[in-house]
Amino acid sequence: MKKVLPFVILILIFRSCYWDNEETLYPALGECDTTDVSYIGDIVPILSGNCYSCHSNLNAPSFGSGIRLEDHQDVVSLEERIAGSINHEAGYVPMPRGSSKLDPCSILKFEAWVADGSPDN
Amino acid sequence: MIVSVNTLYGQDLESFLEDQMEESTEYTTATFKATRIMNGHSVERMPEGQLDFRISHRFGRVNSGAYEFFGIDQANIHLSLEYGIRDWLMVGVGRGTFEKTVDGFVKISPLRQSTGARNMPVSVSFMSGIYVNGLHWNDPERENYFYHRISYAHQLMIARKFNQRFSLQLTPSYLHRNLVETVFDPNDLFALGAGARLKLTSRISFNAEYFYVFDPDDRYLTTEIHNPLAVGFDIETGGHVFQIILTNSVAMRENGIIGYTTGRWIDGDIHIGFNISRVFQLK
Repeated sequence: MKKVLPFVILILIFRSCYWDNEETLYPALGECDTTDVSYIGDIVPILSGNCYSCHSNLNAPSFGSGIRLEDHQDVVSLEERIAGSINHEAGYVPMPRGSSKLDPCSILKFEAWVADGSPDN
Repeated sequence: MIVSVNTLYGQDLESFLEDQMEESTEYTTATFKATRIMNGHSVERMPEGQLDFRISHRFGRVNSGAYEFFGIDQANIHLSLEYGIRDWLMVGVGRGTFEKTVDGFVKISPLRQSTGARNMPVSVSFMSGIYVNGLHWNDPERENYFYHRISYAHQLMIARKFNQRFSLQLTPSYLHRNLVETVFDPNDLFALGAGARLKLTSRISFNAEYFYVFDPDDRYLTTEIHNPLAVGFDIETGGHVFQIILTNSVAMRENGIIGYTTGRWIDGDIHIGFNISRVFQLK
């Protein structure tokens, strides 16, 4: 019984095995809306949900290497580095730090916003 | 008559003595100094009643330059508590920075290397882990399921201590992720790991570990992953084992080591790191 118990525990833990992928499960992902990306409506939610923990004006000096991303002009001046980092490109520090990439739609929206001239809208 | 009786007695005595002197079995100890080789598990477990508090750090990439202090300005950590329920059974729980993962594992050792009456050329352990991604959902508006946060890993560790100086381990591994990004990203990943330890002094050893990840077709993966290689030193000091590591993986558990090593050694994507292990005797 003693030697069987760990295997029983393992079986109980591993009974929720799935073979899912986001592309099939959430087809709307393929229709990421990158027209009329607005700074306040699209970019700020992405930044606040993923970046401000380290890159808010308050936290940047301690956790964000002094890189502030709360103000529009700061984001615009850093937009090339942000794009390189969120795409995990060679030569850039991958962001969000210590994690896998942002969801593809967030990355596409940011790039579309930059391509539109990074408007403060 | 007397002679034959004496002869009979002599034979009985010999076989009687043989029965008494059974060959004993010598079990190999300390194939590796710690329960990890570098990033991945070794065949070793915690002895019964001992609690291991592990703190692991992986800094940023060395190629991020002097401004980032060669990666030391960025730190990923992992804390865990690991306990030996029996000499052959160990459990652990932990929480790490990588994807804010909470993880748990069970490690069982059915076979130990031994010589003598029982001859076993290798030590064998089996590890099963469960990893729960703790990040906020990318898109809170859609229907998100808790089980999509979960990954599982299973590893079989086969190790042999060749002599006092050298041990070698093979680790066939299987990683399963419940949710991946596209149809081309595999939910299942297989890898074969190899780890080795070279003892330099009674307190210091040099360790190296490599996992070859079998990519089904890496042209279409959403994120390109590479094989993790880790090298470093184990330094044993009383109740602590201190492991200094250089590796291209930033994660410290199998779901990230096997499934998300995006760095390459030749590009300089090397993370300096260390594991500190402090053992407490609870029984």
